[in-house]
Amino acid sequence: MILRLAFRNIVGNGYRSLINVLILAIVLIIMVWMQAMYHSWTRLALIQQTDWEYGKGLLRSKLYDPYDSYTWEDSAVREPEQLKSAIQGGDLVPILISPASIYPKGRMMPAVLRGIPHDQDVLRLPVSGLKAQGKDIIPVLIGQNMAQSSRLEKGDIFSIRIKDSSGVFNALDAEVSDVIHIPAASADMSSVWLDLEALREVKASESLVTYFVMGDARYADHEYENFRHIPKSEYFADFYEMLATERVQQAITYALLIFLAMIAVFDTQALAVFKRRKEIGTLASLGLTKGKISLLFTLEGIHYLLFAAIAGAILGFPLFWYFAQYGFQIPKGYEDFGIQGFTEPIYFVYPMGEIIGLFLLVLCFTALFSWLPTRKITKLSPVDALRGKVD
Amino acid sequence: MKHIALLIAILISIPLAATTPSADTILQEMDKNMITNSSKATTRMVVHSRRASRSMEAISYSMGNEKAFTEYLAPPRERGTKMLKLGNDLWIYDPSSDRTIQISGNMLKQSVMGSDLSYEDMMEETSYTESYSAKILESVTYEGREAWILELEATSENVSYQRRKTWVDKERYVPLYEEWYAKSGKLLKTFTASEYQKISGRWQPMKILFKDELKEGKGTEYIIDSLELDIRIPEHIFSRASLRK
Repeated sequence: MILRLAFRNIVGNGYRSLINVLILAIVLIIMVWMQAMYHSWTRLALIQQTDWEYGKGLLRSKLYDPYDSYTWEDSAVREPEQLKSAIQGGDLVPILISPASIYPKGRMMPAVLRGIPHDQDVLRLPVSGLKAQGKDIIPVLIGQNMAQSSRLEKGDIFSIRIKDSSGVFNALDAEVSDVIHIPAASADMSSVWLDLEALREVKASESLVTYFVMGDARYADHEYENFRHIPKSEYFADFYEMLATERVQQAITYALLIFLAMIAVFDTQALAVFKRRKEIGTLASLGLTKGKISLLFTLEGIHYLLFAAIAGAILGFPLFWYFAQYGFQIPKGYEDFGIQGFTEPIYFVYPMGEIIGLFLLVLCFTALFSWLPTRKITKLSPVDALRGKVD
Repeated sequence: MKHIALLIAILISIPLAATTPSADTILQEMDKNMITNSSKATTRMVVHSRRASRSMEAISYSMGNEKAFTEYLAPPRERGTKMLKLGNDLWIYDPSSDRTIQISGNMLKQSVMGSDLSYEDMMEETSYTESYSAKILESVTYEGREAWILELEATSENVSYQRRKTWVDKERYVPLYEEWYAKSGKLLKTFTASEYQKISGRWQPMKILFKDELKEGKGTEYIIDSLELDIRIPEHIFSRASLRK
């Protein structure tokens, strides 16, 4: 009976109810959108990094630190004997890194040469075109970001100056065999990809490698001299830290949105208690306990949210569908920051568990803020209520 | 008849051998001129890029090949920028951010103030006799000066430029022009020295043109306005503290 009464009161409240429902619906739509945005961004970044850089794991030279450019020149070490068959079988992709100066269109700029076997299939990098055809000009692959900063285009020939493993200057000519979209920003920015053997020859560093990308996770279970396994938690540590910061901002936004919505709910409920004091007196006179009267008002508040959920689903559907279908376009210029996952449109995936959790959170707050103004009812005598007296 | 021809040949070659020192001697004499114990110089660096030229003034101190300190005096944008080289380490002080940065790793590949020299090039320490063996290719006249062309081959595997060609002034034993080659044989840099003056008993170039041959442009000129050699330089100049002073 109370439920039915609450429903009728809400419907009978007309535009006041409608405003509350709309406010709650907008809050729900924004929260679902934001939750989907963060979820989809995280998912995309993890997929991109895994497909383009991490594979099934990394075995990194103990001397190599990707965040310390001091280490780049001299961190390559010899391939361990025990991994030779895995390398030949393609389960491990050896990558050699070397800083270099490149001369695109007659300008000098620093770059990082990344040697990778042209027949690897662990990473999504399309490197089959890197197989050297002649001895004079080495084919290289660059990402769009690198192409933009170096102003290199497909077919351009440029010089590379490099120091070999003894510190001797060497130079070679390279031709851009392709410019591709590399979603993992760290594999694109300042990077020039070329065939591993070609780089080894120029560097006079036969069988040297900076790190291995694993095509099979079982290689993580063993110890190798000069190499250490980089677990996902370590590889993605920076990204997770950035996410944690974003989560704090997200939580503040949610708190603000919920606070604004709850002001509306609280205000409506407080006004309702004041305006409907004679109704409260009548209900009390008819034998309804104060607890049940409070429940009625609380249920009315919860009804707002339930209606808001339906309205939000209807109003938000085109928006949700659009972002799932066409993705969230990263604003121009953000790609240059090298933020993982910010290199291509983010197609929304809606995490139902997280969305239901958010809905339940808002439900709890709505129930609380619907109930709070009704506390006065517990102090009210039916006679005073019928006389229209509320403290 | 054969004996007479041989005798003539020997007689002709005697004065030649007597006047042409060995390649190693030439390198030693060049080192005597070019390697100084200490120096203080005010210089202008003129970078001739593809579109325009720009000039920077600096005061530099050096102690052998190990220690060097440079402070840029002009233009206003670069004024106060300082560089300190200690052995294999290089620091740069940026007055606008009041920060000292150690130039390392990939940063060493960057150009110094847009010039034809990278920080890596600045770190090069070359003594002709320690790094190279030489052979005389031919005698030529270069820019009006009699010169030998020497081909230099590195004596060890860790010399940055394994092969060089140098045009050496026969009278002064100084390089007039040099070509620095990559291991692959590609010409990387050229060095042209001119306007030599004798300072403290050594011939020193007052004008040097560095040209990165892989880069477009007309190279970078170093013009030495004043130079003092073998002077006493306070040790504190070659300290990191002096960068922020």
